[in-house]
Amino acid sequence: MRRGGRRRSSLPAACSGPGALPPAGGLVAVLLVAVLALAACGGESDQGVVLTFPGSAVGAEARVLRTQLDRFMAAHPGIRVEQRVTPDAADQRHQLYVQWLNARAPEPDILQLDVIWTPEFAAAGWILPLDSLGADAAPFFPNTVRANRWRGHVFALPWFVDMGLLYWRTDLVDGPPATFAQLARVAERAQREDSVRYGFVWQGARYEGLVTVFLEHLGGFGGRIMDDSGHITVDSDAAVRALTYMRDAVWKEGFVPQAALTWQEEQTRFAFQNGEAAFMRNWPYAYPLMEDTAGSSVAGRFAAATMPAGPEGEPTSALGGSQLAINAHTRHPRAALELLRFLTAPRQMIERARVVGEYPTRRALYAGDTLRGLLPIPPARARELIEHAVPRPVTPVYSQLSSLLQIQLHRALTRQADPRQALETAARQMRGLLARVGLMPGGSSGAARGDTADPAEGNRG
Amino acid sequence: MAERRGLEARERRLGFELVVPALGVIVLVALFPLAWTAWESLHLHDLRMPWRGHPFVGLANYAEALGDGRFWAAMGHTAFFTAATVGLELVLGLVLALAMNRAFRGRSLVRAAVLLPWAVPTVVAALLWRFMFGTQGGIANALLSKVGVVDASFVWFIHERAAWVPVILADVWKMTPFVALLLLAGLQNIDASLYEAAKIDGAGAWDRFRYVTLPLLKPAILVTLVFRTLDAFRVFDLVYVLTGGGPGTATEPIALYTFDALLRDLRFGYGSALSMIIFLVTFGLAVLYIRGLGVDLTGEGG
Repeated sequence: MRRGGRRRSSLPAACSGPGALPPAGGLVAVLLVAVLALAACGGESDQGVVLTFPGSAVGAEARVLRTQLDRFMAAHPGIRVEQRVTPDAADQRHQLYVQWLNARAPEPDILQLDVIWTPEFAAAGWILPLDSLGADAAPFFPNTVRANRWRGHVFALPWFVDMGLLYWRTDLVDGPPATFAQLARVAERAQREDSVRYGFVWQGARYEGLVTVFLEHLGGFGGRIMDDSGHITVDSDAAVRALTYMRDAVWKEGFVPQAALTWQEEQTRFAFQNGEAAFMRNWPYAYPLMEDTAGSSVAGRFAAATMPAGPEGEPTSALGGSQLAINAHTRHPRAALELLRFLTAPRQMIERARVVGEYPTRRALYAGDTLRGLLPIPPARARELIEHAVPRPVTPVYSQLSSLLQIQLHRALTRQADPRQALETAARQMRGLLARVGLMPGGSSGAARGDTADPAEGNRG
Repeated sequence: MAERRGLEARERRLGFELVVPALGVIVLVALFPLAWTAWESLHLHDLRMPWRGHPFVGLANYAEALGDGRFWAAMGHTAFFTAATVGLELVLGLVLALAMNRAFRGRSLVRAAVLLPWAVPTVVAALLWRFMFGTQGGIANALLSKVGVVDASFVWFIHERAAWVPVILADVWKMTPFVALLLLAGLQNIDASLYEAAKIDGAGAWDRFRYVTLPLLKPAILVTLVFRTLDAFRVFDLVYVLTGGGPGTATEPIALYTFDALLRDLRFGYGSALSMIIFLVTFGLAVLYIRGLGVDLTGEGG
């Protein structure tokens, strides 16, 4: 992170740090606050408004962001935007944000949020309700907005969208399977006849990715993690069937390799692009990488589709992506909103699509010819895939719920527990957590911030 | 006499003044954080849920830990890891120390070489072992599948028992040299004439080991035991890198669970309570060793 040294010359003489120190948070937090105080003080210099924007420091992504921020500054001479380098790893970035926001640091003014963080930050009062500030969420895909809604307000604008995809080999398979049963059959056959090592690869390590894979199976089998009223439904019969299907795929039919239970996105991509697998579940980022003949042996021989459905469910993709929110303690909410509007405007989104292959969140962009040729998946098809994407449960305690679920899913998949028993344990623990923090539907829910009191936002997790 | 007593008092005061800086440092870096953690452990403090406030909750966090299955499982894993690694390291370390204690050409070279694994940073060692036990070109599967112990595609890290194998081997590989070194120091303190006397009395090699070496090595063994037990009980980095505590939480030690509670869930109150429990257990173990077994950590007296 920036040390503030470069800007020390512009420090006003009587600069006081943010009033409130963290109640406790250890030396690191205190140091961070000190550093932030230094950085923050510089903001009120004669330069006018200075906004800070956290983001990646490397690669094409950092370059396109730099270009766009420069363009914004050229159009808004009174505002200067400074980039603050934050870790790319989601866990680390999250931890850093929480420390900053707990310390009521006014910077960074803008926050780049993972799709599952918005309700947490909103309930904590760390980010501003953007609709109250005047932001318009209507042009964005409704499901991406739903993931950013808490207690009736929109707290972040979707910046780009990610969705779980089923990649399939066009030279081995006639078309994407419509059902999970068909997927199993085709994957096994490909393994047998076409001598691919693996039929199907997905992310099975104990981490957030496993929950997204499970969510996609679960949706296909007609189940959900949490229902619209906020009840945990992860121990339903559909959920048991979905998890059993995943487990049997590894241990009984064997079309998913056992090693997948230690794999994250990249390991599955390596297996697929080396031509070792007939199917892969992954995010869109893998597409351009696998089209690159330098590293991939399947270039031109694969396509992407939605995940299959089961007998009782619909094809389901997990919704991912990045959102932009405004720090509740910012000194410049108006300028920050201006920057948010600019970054989520069509021109910037199209540029990001072209340069870094990220899918815009504005629905209208997919209609005309605007995006044609910019992204590996044709616009009309991409729109269909995005509209099938389902947010994970929209709740401030999602991360904690997810880690409880991850452990039990992994226990079932590694045969330490049977699927029903594992899911019942997970559901019990998840309900216990919701009750403990006062987010149990129907119970007393004066806990989380917000004026309107709808217990949980509509979601199909 | 009176003058002498005055001198003593002055000396004592001077002595006290001289240790004040050291005591100050101890208070600052050891007692203060400890007291803070203890205080924190009596509060509800979820960084991710500021709406719950920061109320004093007495021993509620401790009560939660005692009723938490994952906590007890983690304690069990820690105890198992400690017993297995410390036991193996002690036996292997003793063998190594005895070998290195003999005079042979290149002895100092061997001593230096033996220390190498210990000098490797734990995270690097863990990555190394993770790779060796991996399915993609791991040497463990290549060798073991030849002799028919496991299948070439066996995935160590998804079996609740097999996942322990790389963890324990890695720790034994890394820490045995340290144990050997401590024991070697002990061996070199044993007077060679005792062995001659035993020999004259007709004691064989085993008897000399059993009745001369072991009893005289006991202080060194106990010191080693204290160091290694307390170290093993706090194991974190090795498991974090090798298995991440998985599959599920099957290899999760208490330090890793605490890390999760503190830095992933950001539950400072509960995490502090877990930290205090680790502290109390290691402290209890240390007291037990020193009082119960008469371990002399300073090396004075006998």
